[in-house]
Amino acid sequence: MTLLRMFAIQTKMNFVWYFRRDGEMMFWTLAMPVFFLVLFSFAFSTGPNSGSATFLVPGIIGAQVLSSGFWGVGVMLATFREKHLLRRVYLTPMPPWVFFGSLVVYRMVLLAAQAVILVAAGALLFHVRITGNPLEIFAILLLGTATFISLGTIIGALARTTESANNIASILTVPLAFLSDAYVPIDRFPHAVSSALRMLPSTQFIDTFRDVSTHGAPLAHYGAWIGALVLWTIAGTVISARTFRWV
Amino acid sequence: MDQAIVVEQLVKRYGDFPAVDGITFAVPHGTIFGLLGRNGAGKTTTLECCIGLGKPTSGSVRVLGLDPTRARDLARMRPRIGVQLQATSLPEKANVREVLVLYAAYYGIAPRAAEMAERVGLGDKLDRQIAQMSGGEQQRLALALALQHDPDVLFLDEPTAGMDAFGRRILWNEVERLRDAGKSIVLTTHYIEEAERLSDRICVIQRGKIVAEAPPAELVARYGGDATVSIVADGFAPGESLDGLGTWTLAGAKWTLATRGEPGLALAAIVTHANEIGATITSLDMHRPTLEDAFIAITGETIGEAE
Ligand SMILES: Nc1ncnc2c1ncn2[C@@H]1O[C@H](COP(=O)(O)OP(=O)(O)OP(=O)(O)O)[C@@H](O)[C@H]1O
Ligand SMILES: [Mg+2]
Repeated sequence: MTLLRMFAIQTKMNFVWYFRRDGEMMFWTLAMPVFFLVLFSFAFSTGPNSGSATFLVPGIIGAQVLSSGFWGVGVMLATFREKHLLRRVYLTPMPPWVFFGSLVVYRMVLLAAQAVILVAAGALLFHVRITGNPLEIFAILLLGTATFISLGTIIGALARTTESANNIASILTVPLAFLSDAYVPIDRFPHAVSSALRMLPSTQFIDTFRDVSTHGAPLAHYGAWIGALVLWTIAGTVISARTFRWV
Repeated sequence: MDQAIVVEQLVKRYGDFPAVDGITFAVPHGTIFGLLGRNGAGKTTTLECCIGLGKPTSGSVRVLGLDPTRARDLARMRPRIGVQLQATSLPEKANVREVLVLYAAYYGIAPRAAEMAERVGLGDKLDRQIAQMSGGEQQRLALALALQHDPDVLFLDEPTAGMDAFGRRILWNEVERLRDAGKSIVLTTHYIEEAERLSDRICVIQRGKIVAEAPPAELVARYGGDATVSIVADGFAPGESLDGLGTWTLAGAKWTLATRGEPGLALAAIVTHANEIGATITSLDMHRPTLEDAFIAITGETIGEAE
């Protein structure tokens, strides 16, 4: 009971403090992805209503999952440490899982909201159709979020300063978004390159997510990749737990 | 167990630099222990080792019999200690009420936001966001967070830094009230007046070492040196009747007596003598040794003075 109440209040405060009262954050989270969708569908396509928006909607959601883990959690944790917020909560009896769990819930809800907005915008503007099984779509989104939050937490654990966390997150997020089938199809690269890129957890997640959501592919076809994502998640969690510093 | 805190041979090195270099002290239950020392003396480092924020290089720390370097002990310690850190901050967009409610949830107690805010003089600022609060107001909120769960042991690191006279008074009253309620309190400070007023025992730290430790009055008696009485009076010279009082020195026109005895009595004798010999008193001055005198004598420097 006590722990549930703690978790509920912490989660609510995450939304109030880091989202609702932060106009910039709201804009970046809710409006930017749609802006990307519109911009990229015109930039990368030969004309409106081509297949590119259908490619981009899951791609942008996938890229948001990456940046949510690397920026939203990784850099945020480094900032919290630098601002001495972490050492203060470390002195209280709050168990670490409450702190991290509430961040994960916060991020997942924001991602779900982003996904809904992007899907709606895709449907309205570009007639994008989501044909997959909603439960399977939700499951793979959840798994991807868990994977990249656990990997992002490593950044938060190892980076000494907010600045270095920022640099690591930029170096990872921006290139990965372009190399992981998020914004541009990696099939445009030579076969050797694209097969190599399909070993990345980001590519495996985004491809699975896209195939399940817009192509209606059954999630069960992606067993190996799902297994890999689970392993990445476990590895990320273990490394984070071992290396995380509150001070 | 009669000691709330026991620190033995505590050493904390940053690289080769010993920030804390072999400190030993104990804090009995229901007392206030003051750590006094200049910037960089090692006060914060000592405190951090006590609360599990720093790992001692060597030596041991026990708080309520628990070892903060062991995870299980630290977990048992946390609900029972309250801490006001020197370097701390709270989320900028949080307001006073929310922070107090969240911290109450951390400790599994019913929130007492309005009551706590009132207690630290923030009763009318419950909806104020951290970013819009002054430094002193943030310090007060930090104090409220340290007190809300009614801990047995309090660690206050320069709690009145940046507070106005009113805030300082609130804190002093709180600290004394808590001690009288049986709580044990460790507090660091630069303010000699604060250390003297609050501490049952004062520990003077210099370059990571304890250089003196005693109740304030004892420190003054032991290290404060002689009381002095100075007189400037036309035609004055200490006569035989004043010889037994102490040592006389003359600087310019000013005669100064350094005495181990009661300076008030010496003063009376000096005035009587001056009147007897018909010397006209221009100025007369008495000085009892203070904790500051003791501190200067102990450390060979004044607080805040460069090396
Ligand atoms: N993380 C650190 N790395 C290296 N040196 C440190 C670190 N923290 C503290 N020090 C050094 O250790 C010494 C003691 O620092 P500490 O913060 O304990 O002093 P303090 O007595 O609390 O001073 P103040 O009155 O300024 O708060 C200082 O010389 C400081 O420069
Ligand atoms: Mg300090």
